Amino acid sequence: MPATVELDRISKHYGSKVAVEALSLRIASGTMFGLLGPNGAGKTSSLRMMTGITLPDSGTVSLFGRPFARTSLRHVGYLPEERGLYRKMVVRDQLIFLGRMHGLSRADAGTRALRWATRLQIADSLDKKTDELSKGMQQKIQFIATLLHEPELIIMDEPFSGLDPVNAILLEDTLLQLKREGRSILFSTHRMDQVEKLCDAIALIDRGRVVLGGTMRELKSRYPRERVLLAVDGQTPRLDGCFGVVESRQFAGHTELRLAPGADPQRLLHSLVEGGASITHWEVREPSLEEIFIRTVGGEADA
Amino acid sequence: MRSEGALLLEQAWLVAAREYRERVRSRAFVLVTILTPLFLGALLGGSVLLALHSSASQRVAIVAENRVEASAVAAELRAEEHAPKSIEVVSPATPAALATLNHRVEAKDLNGYLLLRPQPGTAIARATYISGSSTDIGSGALLEAALGRASTRAAMLERGIPEAEAGRLLRKVPVATEQLRNGAAVASDSQRSFLGAYALVMLLYVVVTVYGMNVARSVVQEKTSRIYEVLLATARADSLMLGKLLGVGAAGLTQIAIWFVLLGAVAGTSLASRYGFTGLGSLGIRPEQVVFFLLYFVLGFLFYSGVSAGMGALMGAEQELQQFSFILVAPLLISILMMSYVLANPGGTTAVVMSLIPPFTPIIMYLRICAQQPPAWQLALSVVLLVAAITLVIWLAARIYRVGILMYGKRPTLPEAFRWLRAS
Repeated sequence: MPATVELDRISKHYGSKVAVEALSLRIASGTMFGLLGPNGAGKTSSLRMMTGITLPDSGTVSLFGRPFARTSLRHVGYLPEERGLYRKMVVRDQLIFLGRMHGLSRADAGTRALRWATRLQIADSLDKKTDELSKGMQQKIQFIATLLHEPELIIMDEPFSGLDPVNAILLEDTLLQLKREGRSILFSTHRMDQVEKLCDAIALIDRGRVVLGGTMRELKSRYPRERVLLAVDGQTPRLDGCFGVVESRQFAGHTELRLAPGADPQRLLHSLVEGGASITHWEVREPSLEEIFIRTVGGEADA
Repeated sequence: MRSEGALLLEQAWLVAAREYRERVRSRAFVLVTILTPLFLGALLGGSVLLALHSSASQRVAIVAENRVEASAVAAELRAEEHAPKSIEVVSPATPAALATLNHRVEAKDLNGYLLLRPQPGTAIARATYISGSSTDIGSGALLEAALGRASTRAAMLERGIPEAEAGRLLRKVPVATEQLRNGAAVASDSQRSFLGAYALVMLLYVVVTVYGMNVARSVVQEKTSRIYEVLLATARADSLMLGKLLGVGAAGLTQIAIWFVLLGAVAGTSLASRYGFTGLGSLGIRPEQVVFFLLYFVLGFLFYSGVSAGMGALMGAEQELQQFSFILVAPLLISILMMSYVLANPGGTTAVVMSLIPPFTPIIMYLRICAQQPPAWQLALSVVLLVAAITLVIWLAARIYRVGILMYGKRPTLPEAFRWLRAS
């Protein structure tokens, strides 16, 4: 698959502080990509270099298969972490202005602003000033500003932070819809559950470097399915030590078992059924992203 | 696909249009546009009226032992162009009469009185003017002239010169003022040309300061509202800055244009012509003065707003900006303080040198133009130097801008600011 974004060993220093160090990643076209990492890991610095806000000290950025050029930015929509709008400006004028900055005509920008505002149910806010809108409405306006010029690549820095649950679901749905339309989407976050739910591929960065990256399937297949969730009617049988169970944790409604590498969960299920247990829930779980991270980063940190 | 250069200009243009519309539509713009001419008009009209009426409304007395002597001085004083409204003659100068006069001065019934006392050993009287206020300067020169003419006339009559002859000898010789302009002498009205220069220089000062600071303030505001992050993902810092300068400058020019049109409209009314005001010419403003005014406004604005944009990008908050605004205003303020000096010595070394130093050029060179047409090479040199300085300032500001508008929080120290310049 062609790459929409390709970073090749980009580095950025601010004075003596290293923001990004020889970072490489590739975002396949038409996919949703999650950029993860703790605060100060270099997420925002990396995104800024993809959008031409800053230039890398070394390394190369390619967008849409071509070396970085400002003219490509017309096909990129960027939502910064620190949202910004002209406070005293009428929303419609503001959207038209931002649309035209991305190469739209006045008429097109106006039509699209209305279409998006209708879709996000804020059409009646178009003729108000930003100042007069609630925070949630301002967030919607900011999404529209990012998407108005129908960018092929959408880059969002912490798009879910500060969103109320309703807007968060609206954004998830919008992003999934955009992906179905063939756009490439990149967002940074520190929320694993969102990445797990939405992303096709990820990169975890820490101290300016990629510590873990790849498609979700690759990552998960690297780690065995060794976790079992079990709920039974009545007394849960003691399983420690049999069928490769190395750990069992009793929760309120279920028991979580960890199996030794190579142990077969199907054999465990068989023996439980044969033993007469009435099983109400059985799930062989993939390792969660969070577990993978804790192992990876924890391992790195110990090394 | 468009080239990057075309993109830069197109985006600068969009930013300029937005800045322009935002300003011109604001309530502050409308208010300032209406109130400034009213305020300046009231100020100018008031000071002209005050100057015309200050001596005309005065009441003075001439006091002497000898009634003839006192009457002669009073007669000469009445003949003056700006003679006091009432001139009394008090004689003889008894202590009681003087006490009454002192009382009347204190009661503001009288502005002051001129006391003539004989000086032993000379024919010339010792003259003292006693008045209620120390700032009653208007009368000083008038009294001296009247006194001088009265004693000359008395001396002439004493030497047997006929009265008619003496009158002819003492008549006032009016002095016309003319100015050399491009080798030809042109009649000028020195007071009026000063008035015109004064009005335009103040306008230049106010507009450049207001719009210069406006640029800095809006940079800081946009920085704090984080709108730059959105804009920088599509446009370059240079085109954002260029657009801002052009948009704000155009708003300033619009305001000035409105004022000139208003002035023209007022000049067309019958009320204005009754007071001898029929347009810029009657204020002593020549057409080429307006052209140079616009030229130096545009150049001055670009210079100061470039400095201002750089400053705005360095600052974290509007309050900080206020502490540093003197850097911006200082050269303009110095220029204004030198106004009367430059108008009096437009070709002097100080004026010539200062008019060639870019931060001072807009006002000092403009003042020189108002007073006396400077040599063409000096005009050309001043424009070349100013344009070079503008290029430098904008180049520097753009570099600071590129880094500075993404830096939030703490204001950088001077060494940090230099590092930004190197890093960008």
